[in-house]
Amino acid sequence: MTIPEDFKTRLKIAKSKLKNQVLSDGEKRGSFMGNAFKLGTELVAAVAVGTIIGFILDSWFDTKPWLIIIFFFLGAAAGILNVIRTAKQMQKEE
Amino acid sequence: MQQFSVHKIGPEIKIAGIDLSFTNASLFMVISALTILLFLFLGTKEKKIVPSKIQLIAEMFYSFVAKMINDTAGSKAKPYFPFIFSLFMFVLFCNMVGMLPYSFTVTSHIIVTLIMALFIFIAVTIIGFVKHGFKYLSIFVPSGVPAVLLPLITIIEIISYLSRPVSLSVRLFANMMAGHTMLKVFGGFVISLGFLGGWLPLGFSVALTGLEILVAFLQAYVFAILTCIYLNDALNLHH
Repeated sequence: MTIPEDFKTRLKIAKSKLKNQVLSDGEKRGSFMGNAFKLGTELVAAVAVGTIIGFILDSWFDTKPWLIIIFFFLGAAAGILNVIRTAKQMQKEE
Repeated sequence: MQQFSVHKIGPEIKIAGIDLSFTNASLFMVISALTILLFLFLGTKEKKIVPSKIQLIAEMFYSFVAKMINDTAGSKAKPYFPFIFSLFMFVLFCNMVGMLPYSFTVTSHIIVTLIMALFIFIAVTIIGFVKHGFKYLSIFVPSGVPAVLLPLITIIEIISYLSRPVSLSVRLFANMMAGHTMLKVFGGFVISLGFLGGWLPLGFSVALTGLEILVAFLQAYVFAILTCIYLNDALNLHH
């Protein structure tokens, strides 16, 4: 049994249309939830990294506990910066 | 907990003082990789115009990742498609294989996710320096900042850049580990409440399993899309 040529192309176009639609819907929902998960760790990770850098620098320069305090706040600032950036990206995508 | 414990399989292998024995974690990584190979082999075996089910799924994964790279990192990131596709498939299949009973979730160990994240971080940094030379350092100096604030902002930017591998790895590890622990806790409730009271936690367990499958997919997606975003920063310097 042979399938006529124009039917084949029509089927292909229809399938690709359907596939794109399903994909974009699923992707949209996925990226919303993904963004929501992203924001939390973004903030915490920067604070942790800042504090670790402060701790290392403290033991290098023997300035306990000043640098760890300073870098804790710098890390918090970096975390907020990260969150703002992620939120901006989310708005741009919409 | 027993499901997270790593133990050796077979003989102990030591090379230059480093323990390289084959563990159950390595076994499940091999299983995930082989499953991906098998799945893609079956998916691309018959290239029909009207695709079979498995071919359709394989093509969907391909176009899904291709579209993701194109949307987030632009056409310049096309050469990195194989890397991001393998990364996405590996994380996804590790998560999904971990959902099977009696299996081992590789991604619930922070060392695994941290190594992947560090590899991405170092690779992206090298790509940035190769593409732009020392001009790449300008991502630490945002434009339009008064000179007084510049040192402070630069330090903050550097911390924010260094926090990338941490947030990338901790997110995946914490999500997988928390989900599996929660399933374990609710499973424990079923046993301790017995036949009369155990039905409610059993229902929760079923619902949580569904949620965990969603999280497994989502975390693989987030891992891949963040790699794309970092790649975008390295490839297109001013955005």
